Amino acid sequence: MHVRSLLFFFGEALKNIVRHGWMSIASIAVVSITLLILGSFMVVNYNVSLLTEDIKEQVQIVVYIDEKAGEGIRSQLQRALVTHPELEEVRYISKEEAMERLKRQMGDRAFLLEGYEEKDKNPLRDSYELRTRVPEDIPRVAREIMELPGVGYVDYGSGIVEPLFQFTGVVRWIGFAFMVGLALTAVFLISHTIRLTVFIRRKEIMIMKYVGATDWFIRWPFIFEGLILGLVGAVVPLVIIFYSYGAAHRWVQGNIFFLSLIPVEEIMEELIRVLAFLGITLGVLGSAISVRRFLKV
Amino acid sequence: MIEIYHLYHQYGDEMVALRDINLVIDRGEFVFIVGASGAGKSTLLKLFLREVRPSRGHIKIFGRDLARLKNREIPYLRRNIGMVFQDFRLLQDRNVYENVAFSMRVTGAPVREIRKRVPLTLELVGLKDKAFKRPDELSGGEQQRVCVARAIINRPAMVIADEPTGNLDPVTAMEILNLLQEINIRGTTVIVATHARELVDRLQKRVILLDQGRIISDQERGVYLNAR
Ligand SMILES: Nc1ncnc2c1ncn2[C@@H]1O[C@H](COP(=O)(O)OP(=O)(O)OP(=O)(O)O)[C@@H](O)[C@H]1O
Ligand SMILES: [Mg+2]
Repeated sequence: MHVRSLLFFFGEALKNIVRHGWMSIASIAVVSITLLILGSFMVVNYNVSLLTEDIKEQVQIVVYIDEKAGEGIRSQLQRALVTHPELEEVRYISKEEAMERLKRQMGDRAFLLEGYEEKDKNPLRDSYELRTRVPEDIPRVAREIMELPGVGYVDYGSGIVEPLFQFTGVVRWIGFAFMVGLALTAVFLISHTIRLTVFIRRKEIMIMKYVGATDWFIRWPFIFEGLILGLVGAVVPLVIIFYSYGAAHRWVQGNIFFLSLIPVEEIMEELIRVLAFLGITLGVLGSAISVRRFLKV
Repeated sequence: MIEIYHLYHQYGDEMVALRDINLVIDRGEFVFIVGASGAGKSTLLKLFLREVRPSRGHIKIFGRDLARLKNREIPYLRRNIGMVFQDFRLLQDRNVYENVAFSMRVTGAPVREIRKRVPLTLELVGLKDKAFKRPDELSGGEQQRVCVARAIINRPAMVIADEPTGNLDPVTAMEILNLLQEINIRGTTVIVATHARELVDRLQKRVILLDQGRIISDQERGVYLNAR
């Protein structure tokens, strides 16, 4: 395509948008509203996943070694853990180290531990701290390890971990279903709106065909129009989300210390990519498909 | 210019709109196609534009067999045929100048050429002063002149008009026909489908009479006959 015709089609698209001002506003509104809902949902979903990832990262299996286990059994256990295919990290914590750590954690009140430090008075046990490659595997792997010889007992926060994983699994699926549903609704609404704008102009298309316009000559302005409407329709929710999420982010940082949200810039980067892509694709596809029906004269 | 042999056209399964049409129209002719409502006049004109395809038989325009014309060649056929409609079919949201220029834009004509030719054509149809009026600010006759200007701006070899005077009073109708005649004198073939018997009788041109899809008379310098 020549630059001249490109400019011409682009100009025609702009003129058409202005000429059919109300219809253009309606299309932009439909794109904006659906993308705003979708975008807000993405923001919530990303933050929920970040949060659960955070929690999952912190979940580990602690294997306390049976005090009665001899050297042979201990090294056998060590080998079994280190070579375990599903474990990502195996860290040995001797009871002395555990005592040091406990003292650090207690800070000012560490004096309470005085007298327990000597070797044979230390009530703590030698242990392994384990991380699985996949956090969701923790309950199963923990139960397996419980059966190994030399294991005293295994702690993986059972009462908490299993419901948490179930919950995050459910949330993720609902979120995914919601996003797919919203995206489909957006496609449906937008293609209908654009079909209506094309329908209003079917007479114009027919006249163009009578005076000898090629199909592409008719199509290009509509495609540019879809592109512009889709892009504007994506920019509106992006701006809204940028300001409102920015405000929410500042408020949370100032008031809820333990909650760490995704930084505004990071989430905007992702949103710009997804929403601009969806807006443009929906706009262009919507008009290209809708105009096709009226080209058969 | 137009050659038609044993042409049939059928809508759907039973509605036979044209039967065994044989017709030759030469370059520079002025032809009326007349006949009762439903006789098949519009259908015949639609065949010329390849808006519909013949069910049977052959039709050649400008030496091209329309049956062999590919879909993407249709626009180039139409650029060589100017169309005038009973209901004008102007773009209501654009002014006269834009409506006429539109026809040239479609062909990818350079802007310089458009700026030169549109005013000349508007002058030819007598609308020099109305260039920046919108169609709804014009009378019916003036709107039809815009339509004629749009039809001839690309200097087509042929102008086809389907009931061009159907919505006009007799005086205005005569003016439009005079305009078409003028275009014809400049060398363009003109084909007019019409019911307007007085105008046909007055102009003394070739008249083709259709009845129930058949040509039942074809006279040089003819008058409007009734079927049967
Ligand atoms: N798209 C169509 N589908 C089915 N039948 C049609 C179609 N168009 C026209 N016909 C039929 O074909 C016949 C010829 O129609 P056509 O429009 O060619 O007549 P006409 O001579 O132009 O009539 P008029 O003077 O009223 O304009 C009519 O009986 C009409 O009902
Ligand atoms: Mg008709």
